[in-house]
Amino acid sequence: MSANSGAPLVKVCDLRKRFGQNEVLRGVDLDVTRGEVVSVIGASGSGKTTMLRCVNLLETYDSGSIMVDGVEVGYSGEGPARRRRGERELARIRADIGMVFQLFNLFPHLTARENVMLGLRKVRRLGYREARDIADRWLARVGLADKRDSLPYELSGGQQQRVGIARAVAMNPKVLLLDEITSALDPELVGEVLNVVRELAADGMTMLLVTHEMSFARDVSARVVFMDAGRVAVQGTPREVFGGQPHERLRSFLARIEMRH
Amino acid sequence: MMVMVKALPFLWQGLLVTLQISAIVVAIALVLGVLFGTALTYAPRWVAWPVRAYSDIARGLPLITLIFFVYYAMPALKVNVSGWWAAVSALAAFETAHVSEVTRGALQSIHPGQTEAGRAIGLSFEQRMLYVIFPQALRRFLPPWINTVVDTVKGSALVSLVGIVDLMLAVQQVIGRTFQPLPLYVLGAAIYFVINYTLSQLSRRLEARFAYVRE
Repeated sequence: MSANSGAPLVKVCDLRKRFGQNEVLRGVDLDVTRGEVVSVIGASGSGKTTMLRCVNLLETYDSGSIMVDGVEVGYSGEGPARRRRGERELARIRADIGMVFQLFNLFPHLTARENVMLGLRKVRRLGYREARDIADRWLARVGLADKRDSLPYELSGGQQQRVGIARAVAMNPKVLLLDEITSALDPELVGEVLNVVRELAADGMTMLLVTHEMSFARDVSARVVFMDAGRVAVQGTPREVFGGQPHERLRSFLARIEMRH
Repeated sequence: MMVMVKALPFLWQGLLVTLQISAIVVAIALVLGVLFGTALTYAPRWVAWPVRAYSDIARGLPLITLIFFVYYAMPALKVNVSGWWAAVSALAAFETAHVSEVTRGALQSIHPGQTEAGRAIGLSFEQRMLYVIFPQALRRFLPPWINTVVDTVKGSALVSLVGIVDLMLAVQQVIGRTFQPLPLYVLGAAIYFVINYTLSQLSRRLEARFAYVRE
């Protein structure tokens, strides 16, 4: 627990980012309080994935700030002394921010257990037995106790993604970032992954997730954020966001999603 | 046939020189090539650019010009190198450039998601290389790398042109005494072939050994 536990755990302020001429984030403001699950929805190109990737600096941002537990992630220093953090500082910060990827990104040369153990061993510097026990516990939690010695290619997509979740949460992160984690899965495998996320939410894991699963966003999150054109256009409880919105772009976005299903 | 058998003891010393030069060049090129290839892939531009220039130049010149260049240019620059070192460094410079490109290719074949996943759990650059990227890149690296080893053995025949008595020059010396070029060149070729064929067989085995990821 940090000293200022009343303050938001993740605080994004006026976040701006451009890729060349294309300004993808035009001043995003977003808070996530401790233990809260926040879902970000929006059309492709709305900037939601870029925003999420900025939180653990997989993308750099040009201006604005992202505070995680009171620490600015991308920059150190104030005013003219402000400078981008180096790889080493970033590694330390990233160790406390978990991330689960759309394409799983498991290490293909390592077994499920070794995937989970790597960060525990090399970043947390735990001994072999301790790391292994933590890994086995999390693999059991995501229902893969019997798959711990399997290599990723031997697992289904849903199983791989559950290993991906175990790898992230085993590090005991302050916040978990989930980037469209079911988008690459066959429809029948989506449920098993979302169930794991549901359980984490019930346990009080702070999560910021980007998703296309509207029904999931509706029932797992405390707050839903609709991004449009690089800004937060609408945010509120699922009921407020999904229940008959006056916002034009949100309405048409939700209608398009409806049509697909 | 008889002339071939009789020539073998004379070729032995030359063969050892060929193997020795090849081994040294392969070792230097492996260390520097992996380093340079990693720089080409990940280093900031001001580091990568000189490496890129070096690699393009070294690969763009015929090996023989490189050998002559070092052999004649070094003394002109008042750097005293023996013919042996001139030949070895020219060969090493050439092979290093090739190994750099092989390394770069192997590293670039790894999905960027692997780097991101390593970053996301807080691995440093060195840790990502050691535990995530290199182990996966190894199997993409090995087959073309063995090709560079084979090229080194073949390329080492050119050191005979600066007077080093390797296998090639030993063959020519025996020819000079026996006036039987055909059987002796065939013999020399056979020895080179045996070395290189063994290497490529080894490469196949290694490939199978490291094929832990099905695609």
